[in-house]
Amino acid sequence: MDFILSGFIQAFVLLFSGDPETYTAISTTLCVSTISILASLAIGAPLGFLLGYHNFYGKKAVRTVVDTLLSFPTVVIGLLVYAFLSRRGPLGDLGLLFTVPGIAIGQTLLGLPIVVAMMATAVESLDQRLKNTLLTLGAAHRHILRTTLWEARYSLILAAAAAYGRIVSEIGISMMVGGNIKWHTRTITTAIALETGKGEFAMGIALGLVLMLIAFAVNFSMSGIRKRAGQ
Amino acid sequence: MNALYRLSKIVQQYNGRTVLELDEFQVPEGAIVGLSGHNGSGKSTLMRMLAFLEHPVSGNVVYDGRKIVDLATGLRREVTMLTQEPYLLKRSVFRNVSYGLELRGAGRGEIESSVNEALILVGLDPDVFMNRQWYELSGGEAQRVALAARLAISPRVLLLDEPTASLDRESTLLIHQAAVKVREKNGTTLVIVSHDHNWLEDVSDIIFKFAGGRMEY
Repeated sequence: MDFILSGFIQAFVLLFSGDPETYTAISTTLCVSTISILASLAIGAPLGFLLGYHNFYGKKAVRTVVDTLLSFPTVVIGLLVYAFLSRRGPLGDLGLLFTVPGIAIGQTLLGLPIVVAMMATAVESLDQRLKNTLLTLGAAHRHILRTTLWEARYSLILAAAAAYGRIVSEIGISMMVGGNIKWHTRTITTAIALETGKGEFAMGIALGLVLMLIAFAVNFSMSGIRKRAGQ
Repeated sequence: MNALYRLSKIVQQYNGRTVLELDEFQVPEGAIVGLSGHNGSGKSTLMRMLAFLEHPVSGNVVYDGRKIVDLATGLRREVTMLTQEPYLLKRSVFRNVSYGLELRGAGRGEIESSVNEALILVGLDPDVFMNRQWYELSGGEAQRVALAARLAISPRVLLLDEPTASLDRESTLLIHQAAVKVREKNGTTLVIVSHDHNWLEDVSDIIFKFAGGRMEY
């Protein structure tokens, strides 16, 4: 038990002394997860809207695929992205393997199905009276699209929070595509795995605490949003 | 009075079931037309057709001398409808009432004065209600905000489909008054569906009775 206790004490020392290695992992995580969630939202929100708003042949099959992708293992995404970005892969010339943008591509693919599925569900469950109201107030199709997205904004924020939670805590993509390079692509989760493997619990615990803090902050900020989404 | 709407040989069906059959139906410009009848008699279907929300399976709809072939946005900007349970946008009262004006590219000054005027017309104090959010309104207040949103755009035709069915007496009275005032002020044509026979008889220039998807003569 002593090593756990001393790990906690050292963790606080690392955090409060501003240990550069610890804070580099934190800043890399925040940077890559921010890029990933913004990309997931930019691509996923319009796709989710189209999926939820329109009825088309094969819609059910598309929904099933999207729902299946929700539980896609991160190591499989990591493997696929690695294969595409490696020197022999079709995108090898871009030189994105073992870079922050490379990890962001993988994490975007991880967040995308969550945003698409939650956005589609939000649009499907929007009040049926909304469209008629907009039409009778003189809205053209582009206005209906814009206003419907705005009406679903609270659900979209919840989707973003769920996707962010999955992105920030994943390890498979960061490890395989990022390569866990110190000062460069090492994230909170890959650092925890590495440090624990070396028997260095202090940094692992410190980073674990930061990760939990991020998760708590995201959930706490969502409590008001959940209430609004249901009104 | 000229006929603003002229409907002839109308048949409307949902899933193969005929819900409305009209040989001839006209709405004179500037008139208040009442529609009465039991639930399922075809009144609301007719209202959706007048609001250009749906096309009949067969028959002709002529509006202002033009035969309607597609449900264009331009047409819908002259006609608006308030239903029994309207949808309020998830935004403030001001943003709800100004929505239609913004769509029409109105300037800031025009929007503010029109919103103020519309709220006063439905008996809501702009200073009190302007910044309230949609979830801070009672059922009667929400209905009056929805009516204000329609009045603000100064429609040529206002369709009221059971606008006071689930409201208290005060809100009902205020909506009744606002509907009459808008005709007096702007010459708006009104088509009203209501189970409140006394009000309908009191306010309408002409009343059409519906039963089983047909108009009774």
